Amino acid sequence: MAMEGSTINSEDFTVGCLLSIKTTLGEEFDGQVITFDRPSNILVLQEGSKPGPKRNIRFLKANYIKELSFLGQAEDPLDIKKCYIDLHRLQAREELAVRQAEADAERIGVGVTAEAQSIFDALSKTYVSLSLLLWCYISLLASVLCF
Amino acid sequence: MLIAEEGAAVEMNLQQAMQPKSPANGFGRRRADRDWGTRFENKVQSGKAHTNRSSNAGTTGKVGVYESPLRDRLVYLTTCLIGHPVEVQLKNGSVYSGTCYTTNAEKEFAIVLKMARLIKDDSLRGQKAECVSKAPSKTLILPGKEVVQVVAKDVSVTIDGMSNELQHAKQQEIMIDSFISRSQLVETERELEPWVPDKDEPQCPELDNIFDGHWNRGWDQFETNEMLFGVKSTFDEELYTTKLERGPQMKDLEREAVRIAREIEGEETRDLHLAEERGIHLDESFDVDEETRFSSVFRGGAIDDGGHEELDDVVLSSHSSETFGGPSASCNKKSAELTHAKSNVGTQVLSTSSSDEVQCSQSNPCADLHHPGSHDRAAQLALEPPTSLSTLRSETRAQEDRHCEHGELDSIKEHVEEKMLTDDAQLSKGKDSKSLDGKKNESDKGRLSSYTTAYTPPSHVFPKYNKKTSSPGQLLDGVASAKGAVEMQPANTRGRPGISAPSNSECAGALPTSSVPGLSPCSSMGSLSSEKSTLNPHAKEFKLNPNAKSFTPSQTPARPPSPMSDGSLLFSN
Repeated sequence: MAMEGSTINSEDFTVGCLLSIKTTLGEEFDGQVITFDRPSNILVLQEGSKPGPKRNIRFLKANYIKELSFLGQAEDPLDIKKCYIDLHRLQAREELAVRQAEADAERIGVGVTAEAQSIFDALSKTYVSLSLLLWCYISLLASVLCF
Repeated sequence: MLIAEEGAAVEMNLQQAMQPKSPANGFGRRRADRDWGTRFENKVQSGKAHTNRSSNAGTTGKVGVYESPLRDRLVYLTTCLIGHPVEVQLKNGSVYSGTCYTTNAEKEFAIVLKMARLIKDDSLRGQKAECVSKAPSKTLILPGKEVVQVVAKDVSVTIDGMSNELQHAKQQEIMIDSFISRSQLVETERELEPWVPDKDEPQCPELDNIFDGHWNRGWDQFETNEMLFGVKSTFDEELYTTKLERGPQMKDLEREAVRIAREIEGEETRDLHLAEERGIHLDESFDVDEETRFSSVFRGGAIDDGGHEELDDVVLSSHSSETFGGPSASCNKKSAELTHAKSNVGTQVLSTSSSDEVQCSQSNPCADLHHPGSHDRAAQLALEPPTSLSTLRSETRAQEDRHCEHGELDSIKEHVEEKMLTDDAQLSKGKDSKSLDGKKNESDKGRLSSYTTAYTPPSHVFPKYNKKTSSPGQLLDGVASAKGAVEMQPANTRGRPGISAPSNSECAGALPTSSVPGLSPCSSMGSLSSEKSTLNPHAKEFKLNPNAKSFTPSQTPARPPSPMSDGSLLFSN
C-alpha cells in the first residue's frame, strides 16, 4: 500500500523489507532495507539484486520520502558474521582513490566544452603519458583550426 | 550487533590515538591517525557511553546496552564508504560526485568528499544543463542539513568482497604488459575478445563493420598483385621459421617443445628483466624504480657476489664488457669527440676504480670479458678493481719499460699511471710514475702475475708488439685472434717466480701494454664484435699533455630513482 509522507511510520522500516520509494525531488527507486536509524532519520537501502559481495547502497533521509510502497518482506540482507572493517585497507583505498582522482582530474579540462572533453578522452584511451597526450590534442586542434 | 575490527578495538585506540603515545598496532602508527581518530570519534562514540571492548587482536566486542544495533549498522555501512566513490544529492537538487572521505551520521548525514565535482546542477531550474566544466574541489564539505541522499555503487559490505579489492585496484593502476598477457601461463593462451567500442564513445559508424567480415575475406594479396602487376612472389614461410611437421608426430613434438619452453622459463635467473617477465621478484630493494624495472638496459653484474645487485657501480659484467659498463657513461660521451687516448684511458681506468664491489673470480668474468674474440684493448682497461690498483700501477710501470721505443705509449702509460695515482688513496708507490725508462723494480714484475694483458690488437696495427701475458690459460684463449700479430711472452720466460693462477680475489685485468698512437679506445667500442678492426688509421697521434688536469671521479652514487609524478601514472579508465 502506498503511503504519503505524513503517514509514514518509521516502524515500517523493518530490516529486510522491500520498498518502493519516491522522493520529494522526483526520484524513484526500489530497495531492500538494511537498516534505519531513528535518531538521524536515515534509511539505508540496498538496491539491485547483483550476485556477489558488492552492492549498490543508498542512504536516504527519510523526511524526503514522498511516497512509499511496501513490496514485501525478505531476509536480512546483511550477514553480521561477515562484517569486518579493516581500517588499514580503508585508508589505503582512500589514498589510492584520491590519487587516481587527481590523475583523472588532470585529464579533464577546465572551461572546455563537453565535446572537446570527449575528444580528449578518446585520445587518452591510447594510454600514453599525459604530456604526449596533450601534445597530440593540441596538434589536433591546431590542424583543425589551422593556426 | 557485533562489530569486529582487525587489530584492536577501534574505541580503545581512539583514546590512545589522541595521545602522543601510540599503541603498538598499526593504527596508532599511521601518519593520519589523529585524523582518523577525529573522524571515528564522532562516528563511534556519538556521545554514548563507552563500551567495554577487549583489546585483543581480532576479537569482537560486545555492544553495550546503550547502542542500538540498527545504529551500528548505519555506522558500519558509512564506514564502508570511506575511499569509495559516491554521489551526494542535496536539498537543492544538485548532485556531487566524489570520493567519500568521512561521514557524520549522528544527527544529519554530513559528508566530506574528496575530488568532488558537480555532476548535476538543478539549482538553476529551467536552465540548460550543458555547462562548461569546472575544476573539481579537492575537499568538499557537505553539511548534514543539505544532504538528501548518498548513493554508492558496488560497495563491498562483507569481508569476502573486500579482500582482493585493493590489490586489484593497485594492479589496475599500471597496466603493464605482463599483467595483461600473463605470459607465465605458457600452455593456455590468453582468451582473445573482439574489440567493441566503449559505450560513450563518439559515434564512429565506419568502424562498426570493419571487423565483421571473415578474417581474410577471400583476399589474397599475392594473387592480386600478380594479376595486376605481374609480380610473382617468392615468399616462402619456411625461409623464416622452422618448418612445422604436421602429422602424427605433431603432438609429441609439441609436447617436447612445451617442455623445453617450461624448462627455459623456469631457469633461475638473476637478470632483472627476465625475472620481471617471468613474474619472479628478485631482490625487493626499494630503489628499483619503474625505469630500472621495466625499461633501462640492465647494467648490473651477472657476477654473483653474495647476492648484491649493485646495478650501478659494477663496471665489470658480461653484458657490458663491450660497452664499458655503467660509469662509463661519461666515457661514452667523450668517445665521440676524443681522438686522444689520454682521457679515454684515464676514464676507463678510473671507472674501474669506482667499482668497489667487483669481485672477479679468475675464470668467469674475465673470460667473459675477453671472450668475444677480439676486444679492443681498451675494453680490457676497464677491469681493474681498486684492491689491486696498486699492483696495477706497478704493472703499468713495469710494462712501461718494455715499450720505451714507443714514445706515445709511454706517455699513455705515464698518464694512466698518473691518473691512477691521483685517484687511489692507497697508493703506496708514491709518485714516481714519471720515470719511464727502465728503472723498474724487479719486484714489481713479480706482482704482475695475476694480471693478464690479454691484448688483442687488430692485426694490421701493431705487428711487432711486445706483450706480457700471465698464465691463466683461458685468458689466452680469448686473445687467440691476436696471436698472429702479437708476440706473446708468457710470464714464465721472464723468469718471474711464483707466477701461478692468481688469487680469487684479484681480477685479471688487462692493462694495455701499449697504446695505439692516436687511437681512441672508446671510439672503437662499437666494433668490438667483429675480428676486423675499425681503428682509424688516420687518427691523430696521441701526445701526452703533462700539464693536463687529472680527472678525479666523484663517488658515483647509485642512479637515483627517477622522480615519479603521480600525474603521469597510467590509469586504466
